[in-house]
Amino acid sequence: MISLTTAAPAISAAFLASLVEVVEAFTIVLAAGTLRGWRAAIAGTAVAVAVLALIVVALGPVLDQVPLHRLKLVIGTLLLLFGMGWLRKAALRAAGIVPLHDENASFAAQAASLSGVATPRRAGFDWLGGVIAFKAVLLEGLEVVFIVIAVGAGRGLLLPASLGALAACIVVLAIGAIVHRPLARVPENTLKFAVGVILSAFGVFWTGEGLGIAWPGEDLMILPFGAAFLFAGLRATQLVRPSASVLTP
Amino acid sequence: MNLLREVAGELLKMFLGDAWLAVGILTVVSLAGWLARRGAVPPLVGGAVLFLGCIVVLVASVVLSARRHRVP
Repeated sequence: MISLTTAAPAISAAFLASLVEVVEAFTIVLAAGTLRGWRAAIAGTAVAVAVLALIVVALGPVLDQVPLHRLKLVIGTLLLLFGMGWLRKAALRAAGIVPLHDENASFAAQAASLSGVATPRRAGFDWLGGVIAFKAVLLEGLEVVFIVIAVGAGRGLLLPASLGALAACIVVLAIGAIVHRPLARVPENTLKFAVGVILSAFGVFWTGEGLGIAWPGEDLMILPFGAAFLFAGLRATQLVRPSASVLTP
Repeated sequence: MNLLREVAGELLKMFLGDAWLAVGILTVVSLAGWLARRGAVPPLVGGAVLFLGCIVVLVASVVLSARRHRVP
């Protein structure tokens, strides 16, 4: 039986990371659906989700065969590369060095590129719309798959982490169905900052365990690691912000 | 084929988006591993190097990236 205390970090990391990626994929699917027809957009999305689920289902048991300390070292290092990458980019965006991701601009760019192509017959299946939705969901979903596997594999948490990702999909789809436009008000950079902090903390913990380091307090060490990455991220943002004033990612 | 190339590119970008950050992290992990397995120092020293090294690499990477972006 998995306790909520064990599963909560995996579920929340998968949920928050998925929220960011699903919002980005949703914008492109929305553009494809609006301009090329919903049948193809929904079909492309469904196929991509099935491919992503297949990757999780196929990789999960394979990873369970890898010796635990080696798995922890590899996944921990990948988590550091991925999580610190997100944290770095979020800090640069928060400081105004790199522009924030704009869902409205992304929607407009996607719509402009699609409107240049001949419109499909009303009754026919629009392959272009389907392929665009498929690619968007597959490419954005790869990061979600990695996070689900990274926080879930080796600890029997693949299912809870997958449920966290699924919950994010449901939330975005439900809100998207109601508002029917890009979800530009989601605080994407703050979410990326938070996920970067969580994944970096997990990364240090797992890499250390993979190297044979017995952390004092075991899992509890993830909390001070997270606090340190949060502080370092905010401090770095403040250091590079042109007119350093407020500390908000 | 094109899709596979895009998937491969996306995977590469996921982990090696910034080359200097990746090199820094891998150097810190290697150093921590060497220290932890060397036996001459307690394994926790390797842990401290790993943790503090990652923090330093993060801050340095943000500062260096900001400088690169500011160069006209």
